[in-house]
Amino acid sequence: MTAIVVLVLRIGLAVLLYAFLWRVVQTLWQDLKGQSTFLLSQKTPGILVNAQTEGGAELNYHFRQTEIIIGRGTNCDIALKDEALSARHARLSFHHGQWWLEDLGSTNGTFLNKDRIKVPTVIITGDQFQCGNTFFSLRIDQISPIVHNEIGDLQ
Amino acid sequence: MKRTLQGSLLKLAGGFLFLQALLITLAPAVRERTWNVSLPWTHWLAFLLWAGFAVRIHADLEKRLPEADPYLFPVAALLTGWGMLAIWSIDADFGARQALWFAISLLTFRAALRLRSLQFLQRYKYVLLGSGLALTALTLLFGVNPSGFGPRLWLGCCDVYIQPSEPLKLLLIAYLAAYFADKLPYRLRIIHILYPTIVLGGIAILLLIAQRDLGTASIFLALYTILAYLATSRKLIPVVSILALMVVGAAGYYFVNIVQIRIETWLNPWNDPQGGSYQVVQALIAIANGGVEGRGPGLGAPRLIPVAISDFIYAAIAEQTGLFGTLGLLALFGILVTRGLRIALRAPDLFRRLLAAGISAYIGVQAILIVGGNIRLLPLTGVTLPFVSYGGSSLVTSLVALLILLIISNQMDEEPAPLENASPYLALNGALLLGLFAAALTTGWWAVIRSPDLLARSDNLRRVIEERYVPRGALLDRSNTPITVTSGEVGSFKRTYRYPDLAPVVGYDEPTYGQAGLEATLDGYLRGLEGNPASVIWLNHLLYGTSPAGLDVRLSIDLSLQARADELMAGRRGAVILLNAQSGEILVMASHPTFDANRLNETAADLLNDPHKPLINRAAQGVYPVDSVMQPFARALFGSSTLSPAQWQTVYEAFGFLRAPLMRMNTSSSASDGQDFYVSPLQMALASAALSNRGTVPAPRIALAVNIPREGWVVLREEGTPFEACQASAAEEAVQSFVEAGENVWSHVSRAQGAESSVVWFIGGTLPDWQASPLAVVVLLEEDTPSAAAQIGRELLGAAMTP
Repeated sequence: MTAIVVLVLRIGLAVLLYAFLWRVVQTLWQDLKGQSTFLLSQKTPGILVNAQTEGGAELNYHFRQTEIIIGRGTNCDIALKDEALSARHARLSFHHGQWWLEDLGSTNGTFLNKDRIKVPTVIITGDQFQCGNTFFSLRIDQISPIVHNEIGDLQ
Repeated sequence: MKRTLQGSLLKLAGGFLFLQALLITLAPAVRERTWNVSLPWTHWLAFLLWAGFAVRIHADLEKRLPEADPYLFPVAALLTGWGMLAIWSIDADFGARQALWFAISLLTFRAALRLRSLQFLQRYKYVLLGSGLALTALTLLFGVNPSGFGPRLWLGCCDVYIQPSEPLKLLLIAYLAAYFADKLPYRLRIIHILYPTIVLGGIAILLLIAQRDLGTASIFLALYTILAYLATSRKLIPVVSILALMVVGAAGYYFVNIVQIRIETWLNPWNDPQGGSYQVVQALIAIANGGVEGRGPGLGAPRLIPVAISDFIYAAIAEQTGLFGTLGLLALFGILVTRGLRIALRAPDLFRRLLAAGISAYIGVQAILIVGGNIRLLPLTGVTLPFVSYGGSSLVTSLVALLILLIISNQMDEEPAPLENASPYLALNGALLLGLFAAALTTGWWAVIRSPDLLARSDNLRRVIEERYVPRGALLDRSNTPITVTSGEVGSFKRTYRYPDLAPVVGYDEPTYGQAGLEATLDGYLRGLEGNPASVIWLNHLLYGTSPAGLDVRLSIDLSLQARADELMAGRRGAVILLNAQSGEILVMASHPTFDANRLNETAADLLNDPHKPLINRAAQGVYPVDSVMQPFARALFGSSTLSPAQWQTVYEAFGFLRAPLMRMNTSSSASDGQDFYVSPLQMALASAALSNRGTVPAPRIALAVNIPREGWVVLREEGTPFEACQASAAEEAVQSFVEAGENVWSHVSRAQGAESSVVWFIGGTLPDWQASPLAVVVLLEEDTPSAAAQIGRELLGAAMTP
């Protein structure tokens, strides 16, 4: 009789130990799932870049990636035959929920709304900038706002 | 969310520990199989202390480190409480001491919670490491060992001891983390890595040689390697380190005694199970006894493992909670290590990243080292299982390490420091998890696959303990008169030998001297492991951790005839066997001089040294020279008693003298020293039986039946098979020439001269026209008195033939 009572308690002991482990695994899994949903929800908004070259040609580029390099080099995302451009001239990048414009140490500089930029600068739809002799204008796609659910708390 | 998670995990841990404490209280009731026992309650103090501190610190963490990792504290608290209760269930004194250390550790923990910043560790790294080394160096001069022997690694007085090498590990991690964090912005040259290597390698080797402290030395090397690898991402470092370890290990094997012992006992523990590898073998037996489900907290016998509370706490927990428990325990360490490395990766600067990674590695490596040592996966190194093992220094160090991890994890508002290469961290995590996984597999190997073999070992003292709690079956004579019985109360069962003169045959079952005779060969039935249904055996093992009540075995011995034989043999040396020549049932088996198994404890030394060897069963295991005693058999086969050597060989072969008789008893076969031929009285009795049994040698039987609950007496089949030695008519004819006038039996007395002494044989049996069961008798005397032998044989035969 005693042994049966004790056996039931022993089973209970094992159950509680594994309940503890299960709770850990379950919350870690939720955390992982939360992280991925959070990252998935942080979609990079596409960006439409309009370039007007010296020659008057007008080029439209639409990007979904988070980093765009402008320059004369052929491996640039926006590669232009503009003598005033450096090989890698400027970078558009998306991080911290914003699009940023950054000069990559070009010879002739990058001008945002006529001002020369020295540090990475946040850009928004309607901004205009100049690299070499090419003028660019921007439009950032609208996306649905990020959903803050329990993920935010887990962070 | 975070805090409620920590709270709910702590509640589950508390429930687990509550049940464990309750089980420890109830354990004696299961062991004694009655509620009428005094139950232990003192260990509830440890539980209450645990619960109190868990609640307080949970609240403190909420207030002071609101962003800290929610898993670390509950996991560590569960491990600490588990260890404390396990220690208490093994040894209440040490349990109370551990509870005291627990209180001291957690008061320190609460005080240190106010720190929040760890910059001072980085700033005063040399001061800290220096003072740690100085303390350790003091142990070289003033070191003691609280147990009075072994490595002197402790400092202290008045019954309080600290082991400076424990906090030194933590100081080493802090120093290395600070060192690499300072140097890393500059391009690291090999000299920068080598410089601390020389210093630390020197210290490690110094510790190894001066202190014989293998555990700390190997942990130092492991931590150094891991931190250097994490800091530099150079794969060469672990490779070189492993090679160096092998070289040092090989050198240590040849030059340092303790290394040699440890490696020897690791590779070949079965060679010396009573000496150097006693601990490891006992630990493996404990794990085997735990099996899958465990014997239950407070049950089993982990006390049998030396230092079960510190170095071998894992084996003790394995016995109490089984594979279920140990897998859970290893998983908890896996969680600690993985969360720790996650904290490292998210740390805001390199110092804190390396510090967190180093602490995680310290917990993981030390756990793997000692668990691996317990289960023979690695050589044994005397380190503690973090959080779990007994030891104040170890507990304080583990909890401070935990606190540092919690503080680092709390700084989440800062961005993680940039990481050049994540692969060393992932590799470290993978390696540690792999180590824990290997430990789990090996534990399973001992607990499940090797368990039956380990439990059946004669050095498994649980078998002896079990006999005090489970009644052993009785040995009865053919009319159910008890020969050997177990009596007494649960917890103090005692074996009593009611008929002491049978001792050389029945043997003994004794805690110190083990088993012999029928007690050994029939142990399976007497212990209830044979004969009972598998389900009964399984249920008893599950509920009580013992075998079921033993089964009574009925022997073929006839006690009244046996008493007659012993009376006739009193004061002589020799053996007597009387058997039913047809069924092979042995009615009398006497071996003299005999001994009293009830008094084995007092007389064992004398018995072992006695030149007349009373412990040996002369009837079945003694071999004696033969001479003309073989004449009847020669007659039966060749019609003459003058034979060529080849013909004698045929006689020996035909009457079974060249084989040991097969039965539930240890028997000897014949022997030859080139000149003389030696046979056992049992062989002679079986051959004689053939002459009274129409030429057929019967299969000998001593155990007739076993009394199985709900089935009654079940006949035990004989082990051998009868075989024809000569034709029935030849046997009848042969014995006619050995019948004396007016006798209704045949008999033959003869002397035989061996290399050392002369003996006298008497053989005889019933005649073919005897209406009842045919009988055969053999008397052997180690003296030169043929008339005495003949008298004993005739009287016994006559008594057996009179109904």
